[in-house]
Amino acid sequence: MKKIMLPLAMVAVLALVPFIGVQYAGLDYLFGVVIPYAAAALFMAGFVYRMVDWLRRPVPYNITSTCGQEKSLDWIKQDRIESPSKPWHAAVRVLSEVLLFRSLFRNNKAEFRNGPDLAYGSSKWLWLGGLVFHWSMLVIVVRHARFFFAMPPGFVDVLDQMDSFFDITLPAFYITDALVLLAITFLFVRRMADAKMRIISLPTDYFPLFLLGGIVGAGVLMRYIAKVDVMPVKDQMLRLMSFSFDPPGEIGALFYVHLFLVCVLLLYFPFSKLMHMGAIFLSPTRTMLNNSREKMHVNPWRQPMKIRTYAEYEDDYREKMKKAKLPLEKE
Amino acid sequence: MTAAALLIVVLAGVYAFRHQESQAEKVAAPAPSAAVDSSACIASKEFMKANHMRVLDEWRHSSVRDGNRVHVAPDGRKIDKSLNSCLNCHSNNRMFCFNCHMYANVKPNCWNCHISPMEAP
Repeated sequence: MKKIMLPLAMVAVLALVPFIGVQYAGLDYLFGVVIPYAAAALFMAGFVYRMVDWLRRPVPYNITSTCGQEKSLDWIKQDRIESPSKPWHAAVRVLSEVLLFRSLFRNNKAEFRNGPDLAYGSSKWLWLGGLVFHWSMLVIVVRHARFFFAMPPGFVDVLDQMDSFFDITLPAFYITDALVLLAITFLFVRRMADAKMRIISLPTDYFPLFLLGGIVGAGVLMRYIAKVDVMPVKDQMLRLMSFSFDPPGEIGALFYVHLFLVCVLLLYFPFSKLMHMGAIFLSPTRTMLNNSREKMHVNPWRQPMKIRTYAEYEDDYREKMKKAKLPLEKE
Repeated sequence: MTAAALLIVVLAGVYAFRHQESQAEKVAAPAPSAAVDSSACIASKEFMKANHMRVLDEWRHSSVRDGNRVHVAPDGRKIDKSLNSCLNCHSNNRMFCFNCHMYANVKPNCWNCHISPMEAP
């Protein structure tokens, strides 16, 4: 229980810090200007550092994934996506992983069903929950372009209209707001519901979920319930985008809770499992070509080895071995 | 089994629509509207900035569905629930709505039905 309560308490405290800071200490400038810049700078530097670090790691071996027929003889049909031999095949494999979570689609679950028999079955719930969560997050982030650009590009408007398609409530209800909250709840319950999952789950698994839940919660609250004046918010975001250090206008404390939790997310990102966002593009079993039958792969680190045959050994020690009456291959 | 389920769905549908029709007859004629008093706004500037869309949404629902066209402001003044009540003051600037809405990139659906101040002659 501690590993759930600890991250929950951390997020609660992190949400209270800007609320108290802005409401009672008047630290608008700190939470509206200094921390966002610092968080964005550290996020970018940290992200680039992690990616460069991974890119510099040598990958000496050709790792052949075995779930599709590799290209070999002409009359054997190749599975191009599972066993790519051309870069664009591999690109399709990476993109299908990034956009559709292909490997999660193959997720299996093993459980004891009707007594001692272990049954294996397809389990698509994690795939569905993850897909809903990530796509909703993407749509929500893109929608926020209306705060960061004086004239957001046209597709942002289209996305916004599609997202508020139901046209209920005012301000219009966004479908992704509900979907992302549902998905976060599901991903949390998934870890809680199964004893095996509870054991392998760590505070670092719960913390991002609670943090994202806090960010979405503050955003939803700001839009639908405890209204915040949007004009100074947009002013401030445009100022941040133009690297201005002018103080922000009068904005409700709830906005600073939202913004500060986003800053915490940006800061936490490069140091955490959230780096899978960049790492997925470097994943060797997704990016490498399965061309081990087409091409000779030699380990670039292989040192020329000093070999000594038994014949040479016997040549060196023949006299001594003869004296000790050891059997010899050559007299 | 399927036929029975289908029958239930059809009956439920018929009942739902019958119910609605009988309700429709009872709707009262629209109440007389209050005189347009535009000497002052219905609420503070700060409140209206953040909540005007909710006020308009509430006005739309209560006037169209309940026929209640009179808004009573906290100070007791009676105001006609109409866009004209707003535009009586705010039409002096044709861009009154659009300045902020374009800046914040928010597209209201008021002008789907109403003539916007920008289109007005």
